[in-house]
Amino acid sequence: MTWHPVASSADLTYRTTYHAQILGRELVAWRADDDAVNLWENRCLHRGSRLTLGINDGAELMCRYHGWRYANRTASCTYIPAHPADAPARSVCNRTYPVAERYGLVWGSVEPQDSGQAGPPAVDLLEAGALTPLRPIVVNAPPSKVADALAGYRFQPSAAVTQRPAAEADWRSYRSPEGGWDVATVERDDLRIILRATDGDDETHVVLWVQPVDAHRSVIRGVLDARPPDGSRLAVLRHHNHLLSRLRDRVEDQAALEPMPEPIQVEIAPVSVELSGMPELGAGRRAPLRVRVARKWSVAADVAGFELESIDSPLPGFQAGAHIDVHLPNGLVRQYSLTNGPGESGCYRIGVKLEPESGGGSVCLHETVREGDVLAISEPRNNFTLSRASERTVLLAGGIGITPLLSMAQTLRQSGLAFEMHVFVRDRRFLPFDELVSSLGDAVVEHLGLSPQQTATEIERILGEHTLSAQMYVCGPAPMIEATTRIADELGWPEESVHFEYFANPTEIDDSTAFDVALARSGLTLRVEPAQTVLEALRAHDIDMPSSCEQGACGTCLASVLEGDILHQDVYLSRSERAAGDRMLTCVSRATSDRLVLDL
Amino acid sequence: MIKLYNYELSANCYKQRLFLSILGLDYEAITIEFFPGMEHKSEAFLEINPLGHIPVLDDDGFMVRDAHAILIYLAARYDPSGRWYPTSDPELLAKTAQWLLFCEGTTSTASAARLHDSLHYDFDIDAVRAGAHRLFRVADEHLWFAEQEGYDWLVPTDHPTIADLALFPDVILSEEGGVSRQDYPALHRWTDRVKRIDGFTPMPGVFFAAPAQA
Repeated sequence: MTWHPVASSADLTYRTTYHAQILGRELVAWRADDDAVNLWENRCLHRGSRLTLGINDGAELMCRYHGWRYANRTASCTYIPAHPADAPARSVCNRTYPVAERYGLVWGSVEPQDSGQAGPPAVDLLEAGALTPLRPIVVNAPPSKVADALAGYRFQPSAAVTQRPAAEADWRSYRSPEGGWDVATVERDDLRIILRATDGDDETHVVLWVQPVDAHRSVIRGVLDARPPDGSRLAVLRHHNHLLSRLRDRVEDQAALEPMPEPIQVEIAPVSVELSGMPELGAGRRAPLRVRVARKWSVAADVAGFELESIDSPLPGFQAGAHIDVHLPNGLVRQYSLTNGPGESGCYRIGVKLEPESGGGSVCLHETVREGDVLAISEPRNNFTLSRASERTVLLAGGIGITPLLSMAQTLRQSGLAFEMHVFVRDRRFLPFDELVSSLGDAVVEHLGLSPQQTATEIERILGEHTLSAQMYVCGPAPMIEATTRIADELGWPEESVHFEYFANPTEIDDSTAFDVALARSGLTLRVEPAQTVLEALRAHDIDMPSSCEQGACGTCLASVLEGDILHQDVYLSRSERAAGDRMLTCVSRATSDRLVLDL
Repeated sequence: MIKLYNYELSANCYKQRLFLSILGLDYEAITIEFFPGMEHKSEAFLEINPLGHIPVLDDDGFMVRDAHAILIYLAARYDPSGRWYPTSDPELLAKTAQWLLFCEGTTSTASAARLHDSLHYDFDIDAVRAGAHRLFRVADEHLWFAEQEGYDWLVPTDHPTIADLALFPDVILSEEGGVSRQDYPALHRWTDRVKRIDGFTPMPGVFFAAPAQA
């Protein structure tokens, strides 16, 4: 694997983008607020627009053209403005390239990552630190020609560098006395040369690399092996800048006499299917990821936080509001929302409330799962998507329902978008992730110890009349969500502005009926028996259907209905979506007619 | 009321709009249909500016033409801090003037290339693009060393001057004339800094930068 320098570390300043290039391939380099350096294809997956024109918000890079956003480190697409509803289940990801920082330079490779090499080959001379990167010099000439010319580079040791003769000296006779300087070649590779300048006892090494930008374009990137003596740093930088610029002029003049080579044609390889497509369908609930419990800690009374870190490959990107399925040692599968902020891709963080009366998922996580344990989880899926285009965003959290909203709040704050977050809890001991909540500052209002009636009154006051493009998101216990959606409706909030996520479906499921399901695309008719779900009947006939919660709360197993009357028993669809009668959740909903026709 | 004879896509008019916005001055923009109407060459407009150029500024009857002259006038009249055009310091003033004149060069190269590509002006496109690259190379080197010395702007002081505003449009719009800024990272960082000046305003093809560090 060949590494090339593409930038000085100092080029990647706060929230800027940098246009890099190796062997004809254009790259965007940017530094996130957590100091991670990204090196990606300089091309938005949407319409091919250059990402160097985009905005680095510290956690994501946003394409300027239509606002697609890509996450720090993973380059996974986190937001598509025109299709917020499309965001679920996507794992669209831009192409990333190996990147490293070393010796004050940013390095990249356009060859596939091989695990053995985490960065460019070491240069012993530079390991001592206290390095001085030189100003990079762009040369419009072939890299090999530049490297050849650098073999003849002459300079002075830093301690011997003085300012150019002052004006009173005979300025007309000034020449860089390059001829008289004692410079030896220490080492020469293809595109790297190490030189040593000596003057009496003074000695300085320079390591020079030629960045092969294209067939006819190069950048000279040099690093001195030591810091120049006090007070002479600028003089030394100017010394090299002056001499390397002169060398550049000579090389360019020479190159201009020769036919210009054709630019290198690079192939923009299609992004691999597993990155660009919808996740592969397969029977049942899949848990392709293995994570280790890196940390388990108490985040509130009866609530445990879990930090899940990847075992081998980086974790896939996620969007605000996303959840994962966690497959538990006792065989249960439970959904938990990610509380991560944007760009936090090293681990997933979830909060689990102990519910001793429920099915045993939370008890297992609280009592059995320990730090160091390995769990199987699904990829993040998002059925609770956040719009970033609204003028007013209200987040309403009831107890542990705060988890997806925390992710949203951090995302909005990172993007500089205003929001209000209201948290309803019994008392402060029950406020999950209170440190994270405090870090959100004034945007958060805590409501402690309110009765259901007082909560409803407060929510009514908070929401007020609907204003243009206001959006609200609620997650909490079922009675709170029901009350909130009812109040919003009474206050005139349109249904599409009211977003909710149940973590459990309180509906008493009626599974006593039997009916036929015709599959229009598969040309198959199935019988659904009492005590069997449509989803189970589909799976029994090897029809693929993704699912997650399997209790009508998450929306993953949604199917289009072409004909027939539906008995909706979920808490995912809105009232008008139910009334339209053209879709159903196959895990709980059934038919009231004898027959349903599904678009499967 | 200040009136600006203006064309939305003109880099030279943008210099004035930028400075008026930064100074927080209200003004009336009078649109001169530069293309395709060639209104700046109309008999009526030649009465206002016999050179047939925009922008022209009319401040309550006081008329001044030429982009950089207008910047000087606005700074001298409306910037009480005296920092945008530092007349009280001979060295800073000379450096400001030096970079203003440099911008005459970028206007006749980088901006000329843009007129060629977008408005079909008859220029030797290879020559004007090569000229723009020569100047950008000089500006990039200057700004790289300015950063090393702890300065953010063209003129070595802790506040931008009208020279920064005079250069910015020619640089930031250069790609519309086929002049890439890929080879000038220090120039690119400086454009981000200009975009973070309080009161900065964009134009078609020019966008806001990510917000500055809190």
